[in-house]
Amino acid sequence: MTFRELEHTADVRIRVEAGSLEELFSEAARALMTIMYGVAEVGGLEVPVEVSAHDRESLMHTFLSEVLYISEVRDIVVSGARVTITGNDLTGTLYGEPFSPEKHSSGMEVKGISFSGLSVAHAHDSYTLEVIFDV
Amino acid sequence: MLEGINRIGPFEWEVPVGFVPGMRVPGRFFLSDELSQTLERGAITQLANVATMPGIIRNSLAMPDIHWGYGFPIGGVAAFGLDDGVISPGGVGFDINCGVRILTTPLTRKDLQKKQELIENLFAAVPTGVGAKSTLRLAQKELTGMLSQGAKWAVKQGYGIPDDVLFCEEQGAMEGADPDAVSAKARQRGMPQSGTLGSGNHFLEIQEVAEVYDPKAAEAFGLAAGQICVMIHCGSRGLGHQVCTDYIQILEGATKKYGITLPDRQLACAPLQSPEGQKYFGAMAASANYAWANRQVIMHMVRGVFARMFGLAYEELRLVYDVAHNVAKFEEHRVGGDRRRVCVHRKGATRAFGPGAADLPPAYLSTGQPVIIPGSMGTPSFLLRGTEAAMEKTFGSTCHGAGRVMSRTKAKHALSGNVVRQTLAAEGIIVRAHNPGALADEAPQVYKPSGEVVRVVHEAGISRLVARLTPLGVIKG
Repeated sequence: MTFRELEHTADVRIRVEAGSLEELFSEAARALMTIMYGVAEVGGLEVPVEVSAHDRESLMHTFLSEVLYISEVRDIVVSGARVTITGNDLTGTLYGEPFSPEKHSSGMEVKGISFSGLSVAHAHDSYTLEVIFDV
Repeated sequence: MLEGINRIGPFEWEVPVGFVPGMRVPGRFFLSDELSQTLERGAITQLANVATMPGIIRNSLAMPDIHWGYGFPIGGVAAFGLDDGVISPGGVGFDINCGVRILTTPLTRKDLQKKQELIENLFAAVPTGVGAKSTLRLAQKELTGMLSQGAKWAVKQGYGIPDDVLFCEEQGAMEGADPDAVSAKARQRGMPQSGTLGSGNHFLEIQEVAEVYDPKAAEAFGLAAGQICVMIHCGSRGLGHQVCTDYIQILEGATKKYGITLPDRQLACAPLQSPEGQKYFGAMAASANYAWANRQVIMHMVRGVFARMFGLAYEELRLVYDVAHNVAKFEEHRVGGDRRRVCVHRKGATRAFGPGAADLPPAYLSTGQPVIIPGSMGTPSFLLRGTEAAMEKTFGSTCHGAGRVMSRTKAKHALSGNVVRQTLAAEGIIVRAHNPGALADEAPQVYKPSGEVVRVVHEAGISRLVARLTPLGVIKG
């Protein structure tokens, strides 16, 4: 379970790898929050999440957009997610820590999740996400 | 220059039909030889992709600050016919009406003995950075006022004077805004963020007019050499971001419903006449209005600080102009031999209406519209004016800024925030930010030289230089 930043001149492009689709979604949420707040750690907060879409890429797009929204309106820095994915429906729980200006000011605000360059690939035992965040 | 692109003028290039499959019109962009060294193929592919969209008129265009974005390239401009054309959130961007305004003060550099204190006071007065919350306490009804009336709402609430709205593009409030088309989620995000600067490339900067190139236009704009000015760069915050996110998903469905084939999902669009397209326009215009109100409220905070510190009257800080960088608008342009109402998308581009154009305040009718081009922290900003050539060639559009050349990942490795701060301090530029990392990320080296970008639009004639402004102090998010 890891993510890394790839080259992109204007925005933030990342690659996330995980052993299962569920882990990929969890790790993608943590990656988004780490870009945005510098750090994202477990901290006792939990928020339910439920999204649907019409294909896997759209599901990831909708899910990450929802994480961004929940983070902002609930003041939570999400460090991961326990999710169940059935077809193109996702339900589960986001977990993380309360937003604190002292701790979480070393990242950059993500404005949105781009569909350009968004891919979710599956090969052997691993899932890979590539996605661009507009910052 | 990249293969498959033709030079058609000293600063103009054409991307022929066929560069990507399905292009309906050629692409055109403006660039100097120097800037072409850093041109990315991805940006040109995006320019060509836009040319495949239904109802596009004449050309898919890009300004010299073109770079690889998502959907449209940054610096992209395209006009669409009202009957056969489309509207796309990918042609506006997440930060709807990200824009910039500049105000003048009666001060000169010798009055700024307490510059450090000024920067600290501004930093305290204007909420900045990730997670910053508004000092305004809005009720739902007031948010609706912001969405429908923009800067006019802010002035009515006491955050300005009536003259301010005259000096905003669209008088600070776009017609056709539909607050009901803005989702509850977007409203929820927008409520606590009104009057906040944000982060990333957004800033508030104290500048000095270093050089005047066009004295007549500078006089009309109320600007003189040596004068201290304030530039405010921000947008529609989480509200606009959420509107873009919501409508990309809605318009993805519409793209399929109306049988539109696109090479990039981020270009999701709907016919301008469709219910989906009209609803997006209404929500986007409401977000644009939120951004105009936002910049108006921030200007009010700035005026307060200057009034207290320098004993100035509120009105002595005069708004020169306010322009949008990310927006889609209905405008009348010459197409063929006729004047037609079209929908112009500008994604990282500035409207640059020439002399005599509609929507200009009477004081600027003979000069053309002021065009404000922010530099980066250490590099100059420029004031230009719109031209007739822009009306002919670019649907009255020009560049919006410097454009990045170094990725954020490279910047983080190559530059330290503290070194950037010290280097700028040695040049007399005070920088204040919550996060030193943000300084490396927005250092002067990561941008194309702003002087070269504006030289291209000046030489190409799509706007003309009026003045250069150098930074003295800056607040970053």
